[in-house]
Amino acid sequence: MERIITRFVTALRERGIRVSPGESLDAVQALTFGGLSGRDSVKALLRLTLVKNMNDIPAFEEVFDRFFSTGQHGAVGLDATELLTAMIHIVEGERLKDEEYRTREKDDPLLIIDEEVTAEDLENLLAMAESDDDAAGAEIMVQIDGHRGKMDKPSPSDYAMKSPPTVAFSQGVIKPKVVPFTPEELADMQEVVSRMLVRIRKDVQRMKEMESRGKLHVIRTIQKNYRHGMVPFLLALRRKRKEKPRLVVLCDVSYSVSHATRFMLLLLHTLQNRLMHVRSFIFNRELAEITPMLRNMPVNCLLETIDRGEIVNLDDNSDFGNVFVEFKKKHLENLRGKPAFIIMGDARNNYNDANEWALEEMRERAGYMLWLTPEERETWHRGDCLMELYGTYCDRVEVARDVDELSRLVEDLFHTLYDHNDTRAWKGRRPEKKSEEPHDYRSYYTRKGGAAPAFDPTVRRQW
Amino acid sequence: MITELEVKDLLRRGGYIADETISTAVFLALRMEKPILIEGPPGVGKTGLAKTLSEVMDFPLVRLQCYEGIDEGKALYDWEYGKQLLYTQLLRTQLDSYLSESADLRAAVERLSAEESLFFSRNFLVQRPILRSFLSEKRSLLLIDEIDRSGDEFEALLLECLSDFQVSVPELGVIPARNRPLAILTSNGTRMISDALRRRCLFLYIGYPEFDREVAIVRARFPELCEGLARQMVEFLRKARELNLRKPPSVSETLDWAQVLSILHTKQLTPEVVANTVGVIAKHQADLQQVNELAAQVMG
Repeated sequence: MERIITRFVTALRERGIRVSPGESLDAVQALTFGGLSGRDSVKALLRLTLVKNMNDIPAFEEVFDRFFSTGQHGAVGLDATELLTAMIHIVEGERLKDEEYRTREKDDPLLIIDEEVTAEDLENLLAMAESDDDAAGAEIMVQIDGHRGKMDKPSPSDYAMKSPPTVAFSQGVIKPKVVPFTPEELADMQEVVSRMLVRIRKDVQRMKEMESRGKLHVIRTIQKNYRHGMVPFLLALRRKRKEKPRLVVLCDVSYSVSHATRFMLLLLHTLQNRLMHVRSFIFNRELAEITPMLRNMPVNCLLETIDRGEIVNLDDNSDFGNVFVEFKKKHLENLRGKPAFIIMGDARNNYNDANEWALEEMRERAGYMLWLTPEERETWHRGDCLMELYGTYCDRVEVARDVDELSRLVEDLFHTLYDHNDTRAWKGRRPEKKSEEPHDYRSYYTRKGGAAPAFDPTVRRQW
Repeated sequence: MITELEVKDLLRRGGYIADETISTAVFLALRMEKPILIEGPPGVGKTGLAKTLSEVMDFPLVRLQCYEGIDEGKALYDWEYGKQLLYTQLLRTQLDSYLSESADLRAAVERLSAEESLFFSRNFLVQRPILRSFLSEKRSLLLIDEIDRSGDEFEALLLECLSDFQVSVPELGVIPARNRPLAILTSNGTRMISDALRRRCLFLYIGYPEFDREVAIVRARFPELCEGLARQMVEFLRKARELNLRKPPSVSETLDWAQVLSILHTKQLTPEVVANTVGVIAKHQADLQQVNELAAQVMG
């Protein structure tokens, strides 16, 4: 039975579902407890133990139905029902009859050889389970995400070649499909994002530290320690702010800017709820919120869905004016706090109404507004581009041509946001952060004393 | 040992109509002593399952409601400083006489430190929900509700508790569970739960129920409602769920509505009935309109 589960798990992995060795062991255990009373119950048992994400459930169903289907497996000639009965025999502790051995041997002698290795296989599994790693930090997650795209395209391993059901099976399932990101592209982007995440993390850490800092709230402290005879065991502090910064992103997904948008989506996917509250929208002519999808879908899936035009129609021309009005009507009222806006797009309005009043109202509700455009400044006044008009309502308009620039700009924005949320106490401490940066210690003694501190634009911004 | 069908029967007796997956999950959790992580839209009976289970299995329910900023002092254990202080105050005379026997200061300190464990004993440990359920005399049901509201740190804190059923207190060492509780974690999916935690749990997704099961749920709770009306309202709500509402009506809304209709002694659904009771189903102003339109379209 272990062998069949291992194969089934391999099939699931080929389909892109992450299954750890520990989970395979769980599945085996569950099957021994639950018995093989029926197809549905086996399916339920396997699903409960192997699938840990609701987005993977449809894929699991498909794999299960194919793996344990009663149909023929083409040239291989091995029936899944036969496998299932064999499985039941093994579970119930019965050995296979001689003739069954022989027929199976005739089909494929490798199966019998496999039979003998099972115990060892299981031991291997156990060993792998122990080395299982739980410290899933943000970076690791990002790296794992990076490999997800690659998983979709299986490279047939030696083991897969040996086991006939797997071969027959993978040939059937894997359809040629368009991968929106090539794996290399994805890995590159992931790397940029993960590096950026590490840097932003520092800021978040700082914010957390600040939350546990503040002036003593004398009255509340006394109240809190009343039952301790006024000995201040528990402190109550005056705190300024507890909320994470909020971010609203509007992304143009028309073809002209699609490469930048993709990176943005990937970035949002990683940031979503990890560091800040993000609400993300995409638009072309109409506007659609994708926040829940970003939370629950692998990024490649989401991009595919967008590329198929299921969320917003991609054949339309982009219409910024309409989008701003729609946003104002539907979403502006229920944005909490003063979120920062990022708008991505080339501001090419295709000669529709500009509706800049809507943007102005958005500006009033926003803490900060950043416009990212992939076009050079020289071309802004040409044709239907409204960048100059829209730009007047933004705090900053920046040109982002490639991934590196985009990541730098977004990181900048985060710094601004976190600075913005710093309490006054922290501002006094800012120079300390400077000293964390690597010094060239050789020049330390040769430098003239009392040099004027370098001008720091980030400090300037707070005045 | 209990079987899967018995679980289903037990739940049914408690008024919870479970499908095969749910009952299997409960059965497995009982046999494998693994926690269940339940995900699904709000109001489909995630918390309800835990409550019903605690009733029918006669496991005392220990509930931990998660929120942003929950920490070990709220979830696992805490030291009772006040009590510690009070004891030192009250025992002062005893301590004085006890320490006066020692020759010099050094000896006194040594003598006192030998008794240190007295002040960091279980006596002064406040049991918070998780520890309480671990140490309960009977096997209990630990419900960790809406775990997606808590932070990453809290999730990491749960890892030890849920995989090994033990709590590490630095001053006391490891406290293993006296009776391993049946742990149920629920999540509305507003935040991704880390894979490390998912791996330690059986994952159960409860979605909106199929037509027959939803009718059965309504019938089980409100037997006075006639079968025809129950079918009609469930059918209507299933259509409403496809409307792309901001808050689609869930099973809890179905039950609320059933209650309202049974109070009003309604015999059949009409657009007027829907219009009068629409506030039970739709929870946003924009949704009200859409539901009313659907009613006019379906029944008109």
